[in-house]
Amino acid sequence: MATQASVAPPAQLLARRAFAHIPGLLLLAVVGFAGKLIEQSIAAYTKAHHTTFPNIEYVLWAIVIGLVIANTIGIPKIFEPGVATYEFWLKTGIVLLGSRFLLGDVLHLGGISLLLVAIAITLSLTFMHLLGRAFKLKPKLTSLLAIGSSICGVSAIIAAKPSIDADDEDASYAIAAILALGAISLFTFPLIGHSLHLSDKAYGLWTGLAVDNTAEATAAGALYSDAAGKVAVLAKTTRNALIGFIVLGYALYWSSRGEAHSVGNKAIFLWKKFPKFVLGFLLISLLATLGFFTKPQLTSLANLSRWAFLLTFAGVGLRTSLRELGKQGWKPFAVGAIGEVFIALITLGLVYGADFYLHL
Amino acid sequence: MSNPNSSPRGISLDVYAVTLALILALLVRLNLIPLIKW
Repeated sequence: MATQASVAPPAQLLARRAFAHIPGLLLLAVVGFAGKLIEQSIAAYTKAHHTTFPNIEYVLWAIVIGLVIANTIGIPKIFEPGVATYEFWLKTGIVLLGSRFLLGDVLHLGGISLLLVAIAITLSLTFMHLLGRAFKLKPKLTSLLAIGSSICGVSAIIAAKPSIDADDEDASYAIAAILALGAISLFTFPLIGHSLHLSDKAYGLWTGLAVDNTAEATAAGALYSDAAGKVAVLAKTTRNALIGFIVLGYALYWSSRGEAHSVGNKAIFLWKKFPKFVLGFLLISLLATLGFFTKPQLTSLANLSRWAFLLTFAGVGLRTSLRELGKQGWKPFAVGAIGEVFIALITLGLVYGADFYLHL
Repeated sequence: MSNPNSSPRGISLDVYAVTLALILALLVRLNLIPLIKW
């Protein structure tokens, strides 16, 4: 009896937590599904009436519906826990997407991405620090912006904040700037890609290298085409895998100046910061390569990944508050924006070069 | 502007996501769930 009594409260707590997520999850599903329904309805209408209308992917509809809801009526508190799970669905979707890659493709494209990421990171970190100095931003805010825009957005900033003992205020400025710029890139990248007639692979690689936040990079890739979305996720995952090394570099720099605590065991530090979903992605890709799944099963896994992304894209819109983004000072945003344009141009040049010399 | 990764529980978000994905992959492999359509 005594055992039952001591077990019951955590079980109840867990059940209560699970229930708290249901309304938001339903909202994600409704918004995402509405986006899919709109895309299908427009396609059916134009086919039936023999008219032409540009195919707008469900991704954009889901994000726009989410944005409208979040910035007009707002998200009631009851939905917040469930809506916040969009990053969980993103990572689940990425792991399942591993089934659509043969390990050889992962190593080929991942290798090219790694090379381009290394060049882009070096150039963008240098440029961001020069910009931060020119705009007289606080050095740690500049560090966070540089990490966020060169590696992987919000997750990188969150990973770096405690390691370099940065202020909460600096971190929220940097996160707000990165999110605002991610939202802008969602609408600009596909337009630029189409106007430059980029191939799916080149566009996907460019998006994965240049768009900061993983959710936005996935969405910006999927907005172009399914194939581009796939490549964008792979390139972005490669970038994410480097998060630990960059954060370690900054942590060592700030602790050497006596402005952050010391790092301790570097291998443990790297493992803690390493995004574990990358390993899941590689494992599923390996299983697919070894023929562990039949063809229909691979289709099922790919579709499960699409459903997970559908929830993610709805969450991207629902979690973007234009009011919040407007509250930040103009300087971090200006530094971030100039840096982003620079990174977008550099990575575009790199992708063109890779396409020419390495045949993507 | 909070992020799920920022909570102490959020550190293992990746692990939860990988676990769910692997369970789903296993269920699909063992044909324990019907073919998923899009």
